[in-house]
Amino acid sequence: MSLTITCPICGKRNGYEFRFGGEERGPRPDEEGLTHEQWCNYVHMRKNIGGIQREWWYHRDGCGSWFTIQRDTLTNLEIKGAEEI
Amino acid sequence: MQRLKGLATLKTDPATELSLTYRGRGFKGVKGDSIATALYANGVRIFSRSLKYHRPRGLYSLDGECSNCLMEVDDIPNVRSEVMRLREGMVVKPQNVAGSPEHDFMSFVDKLDRFLPAGFYYHYFHKPYKLWPFFQNRLRKAAGLGRLKPSFRMKGSFDEIYPCTDVCVIGAGPAGMSAALAAADQGLRVILLEARPWAGGFFDYRSTEYSPDVPLYKRARQMADEIGQRENIRFFADTSMMGFYAGNVITAFQTGKESDSFYERYIQISAGSVVVATGCIERPMIFDHNERPGIMQVNCGHRLARTYGLLPGKNAVFSVGDDLGLEAAVDLSDLGLKVMCVADTRLDGQAPHLLEGLEKRNILFLRGWAVSRSHGNRALKSATLCTIDGAMSRKIPCDTLIASAGLTPAAGPLFLAKAKIAYDHFTKFFLPVTLPPRVHAAGRLLGYTDSLSIEASGRLAGLTVSSDCDVDVKNHIKDAREKLEQLPGPARGAGLVQSPGPGKKRFICFDEDVTIKNIYQAFDAGFENIELVKRFSTAGLGPSQGSIPGHNLPLIVAQHLQQHGDPSTTPLPTTIRPPLVPGFLSTYAGKKSDPVKRTPLHESMETIPGAVFRRAGAWKRVRYFSDDLTCRKEIENVRNNAGIIDVSTLGKFRIFGPEALMALQRVYVGDMSKTYEGRVKYSAMCNEDGCLIDDGVVIKRGENDYYFTSSSNRAGSTLEWIRYHTRHEVWDFSMVNLTDAFGAINLAGPRSREVLSVIMDTDLSNDAFPYAGYREFKIKGEIPVRAMRLGFVGELSYELHVPSSCMRTLWDLLLEAGRPYDLMPFGLEAQNVLRLEKAHIIIGQETEIRTTLHDLGLGSLWYREKSVYKTVGAPALHFTEHQESRMKLVGFKMEDPHRPPQDGSIIVDEKIRGYVCTARFSFTLNESIGLALVHSDLAETGTHLEFFEGNKSEKRLHGTVVSTPFYDPDGKRQRI
Repeated sequence: MSLTITCPICGKRNGYEFRFGGEERGPRPDEEGLTHEQWCNYVHMRKNIGGIQREWWYHRDGCGSWFTIQRDTLTNLEIKGAEEI
Repeated sequence: MQRLKGLATLKTDPATELSLTYRGRGFKGVKGDSIATALYANGVRIFSRSLKYHRPRGLYSLDGECSNCLMEVDDIPNVRSEVMRLREGMVVKPQNVAGSPEHDFMSFVDKLDRFLPAGFYYHYFHKPYKLWPFFQNRLRKAAGLGRLKPSFRMKGSFDEIYPCTDVCVIGAGPAGMSAALAAADQGLRVILLEARPWAGGFFDYRSTEYSPDVPLYKRARQMADEIGQRENIRFFADTSMMGFYAGNVITAFQTGKESDSFYERYIQISAGSVVVATGCIERPMIFDHNERPGIMQVNCGHRLARTYGLLPGKNAVFSVGDDLGLEAAVDLSDLGLKVMCVADTRLDGQAPHLLEGLEKRNILFLRGWAVSRSHGNRALKSATLCTIDGAMSRKIPCDTLIASAGLTPAAGPLFLAKAKIAYDHFTKFFLPVTLPPRVHAAGRLLGYTDSLSIEASGRLAGLTVSSDCDVDVKNHIKDAREKLEQLPGPARGAGLVQSPGPGKKRFICFDEDVTIKNIYQAFDAGFENIELVKRFSTAGLGPSQGSIPGHNLPLIVAQHLQQHGDPSTTPLPTTIRPPLVPGFLSTYAGKKSDPVKRTPLHESMETIPGAVFRRAGAWKRVRYFSDDLTCRKEIENVRNNAGIIDVSTLGKFRIFGPEALMALQRVYVGDMSKTYEGRVKYSAMCNEDGCLIDDGVVIKRGENDYYFTSSSNRAGSTLEWIRYHTRHEVWDFSMVNLTDAFGAINLAGPRSREVLSVIMDTDLSNDAFPYAGYREFKIKGEIPVRAMRLGFVGELSYELHVPSSCMRTLWDLLLEAGRPYDLMPFGLEAQNVLRLEKAHIIIGQETEIRTTLHDLGLGSLWYREKSVYKTVGAPALHFTEHQESRMKLVGFKMEDPHRPPQDGSIIVDEKIRGYVCTARFSFTLNESIGLALVHSDLAETGTHLEFFEGNKSEKRLHGTVVSTPFYDPDGKRQRI
């Protein structure tokens, strides 16, 4: 509830203005040679780490852009410049 | 009852009377009263009956620390009547009373305590098991406080605000105010919270000298005035802190004054740094019958007189453990209370001037004594005092007993902030050992008792938070720390855990009627961990969440462990969780705003007789244009003549830029490179599971410039969707949501061409503007129209998109032009039946979260040769294409042509095999038809289906799977 998020365009704003877009897991795999299992893993499986993760947010009540931040899921605080895990 | 007059400390205005009704009788209070003080002034002494034993309970604290004064006010149960300000005409009732507060016929339970030990409900009632329902019923009736009528609805408006600030100070006593002023001096924005209606804390009601000629209350007012003058301090009175969350987010509830627009409001503060200066509450003295009406805390008795002008009684005994108690005895004696004696649990350490004051007034002072038992029935008659070693005792008649074992810090906010807190053997307080970053504590809750020290510690905290906020105050901090160190430090606390002597009615928790005996029963049952003792005995689980037992319970548990285990055990506090004080759920719910969108034609629709509006997603739309819910006339008119419907709720977008087509290829399943100017391209969007989420048309308006539509429900999320699925790309395209900028009207029916021709000069012949064509033209040379020939309802039709500002004009022009052709508006229900006859799906009605494009028979929309674009859902469409045992969409006809099943009816054989999405009687076809999602083995044409409506009728209905569309299968009518 206490989250603030720094939008690259609008700056630091209340977390209620944003929609969560899940953890960053890279671009979608290519279709060629893709197995059923790989696809399911990409669509449905998450790391769900306790600690610092890079994740996507959408500034729904603002500029309407998607961007990533790093957040410590244990403290619910945005981390700036932390080493990516 | 005579009120004290002329006291400078009064917060009431005796000249302004307010009336209230209590138990059906009219009483008078005065402005500034709380409900409890107004009742006290009218002689009410028993405010409620206790939860378990129905013991009489009276005014004990003035800050709502126990459930004694929870009352029903204006039908709202469990209102803390000591805190709630009196308003004109309030209707107040006592709670948990069988009969009247004075004569409660359940009070015999008090004698049965032997049968109600701690955890009794774990032991009894389940043997024999078949009696349990009986006991369950009885217990449910007895348990819980307050009664809420099922018909009750919360009145008043509730608000919410989300302020951000540099510094938040919790508690506007002398320390909090000093901290706020010190931080404000550095130019920081400060929010100051205070639970009481005014600032001042322990200074506010006391006349003791602060400095020559300045009593404490005057000093408090000076500071409060200064706070009021600072533009960078925002002061919230009547505001209780509820929670403290990561990142210094503080939640609080503010009770509105009568002049405020809200009854209560939710405040969520984001603070850079926080000062907790919540001061102390009192630690109850534990003795036999320690909660009889007439027994109250020191500051309750003192403030009753000083703030409300009400002497607590006539003859009072004091049993205290703190200098504030002695001060109150002296002051109340001067105000007219006869003080029979003052017992102090401490053997030494009293301030000499207070002892002199007692002596001067001939008040008996008993050093090292404490009250051990109160006597009386419903009212206090006398008290037995004894030495703390229990050697000597004496009984003194009195009608008021001011009892307190000492102070205890109100450290709830620090616990919530996850400060490390430990018992301090000198102050006998739970004190913060380490504080989290950007959280500080100040004032009496650190053990300071000297007025100047309290202010100095507040100032130091105010400067420390300033340094958190990047103000360079190093030198100021050094000076402030030195100054604090020169002043008296934290004072020694009173150590008595409980007064000596026997007694089975020594209450540790008033809310839950838990006695010391119950705590020992928990020990006997093997519970020694404080959290388990708390849960087993239920001490501190009541509405006031441990304010009363919060300090005593750890002391008792530690004492037990010291005697029966490790002698070095120190008391451990119990866990404190939000909310710190009870609040209304309505306040958490906040504003009851339910914004609804209106189409540009809303006003026009309202003027049409018979129009029935219904909520549809974010919108209000016309569902019917008459009270015939089958909409026969509307439907037949579209099939035979022409109809118009407002479809402005469709999502409408522009996408343009060199790589706009790439983005369209990414989200649409079709080959969007086959979008040609002058043609509409129908396509669909799937999610990554291959399930249909949206369908619409795409129009190419120029090079790299497209206009496209979505279903109404997707209007708000389509751009977000497209941006999400292109987030890893650096494609050059831009998008605009035109949903509200454009309105849309669908003109449909065999005569619609004739209607449109009346207001248009353009050639509308089928050759010039064929089915699936797109044209832009101007109506009357003014209204720019984007027109497309679509077939959602299965007739010749023109969907006209125009700027919202032109919608009413166009609507009126069409109605006028259509008069000779029997043009009529039709609503959503008619459209629903018309499209059902064509078996055109509505997403969310014929689909659910797991319905793929293939399941709907729309697989042909998918263009599989474009893997380079990584179309959303394409891999899943591959994988599910030939998957078996899925739910398929089928059309069906009913055996009884006049009996369609209800929407949502299940399709059954031995098991549930599917459900009805939409089913209606079709006037056009004169039979009952529908669409259903069924297991794939039932999807074959000709399969018999059995329907079960459940709630409507037990009878099974029968139908057969048929091919679709039901109406005009070749689609000739939309192509004419």
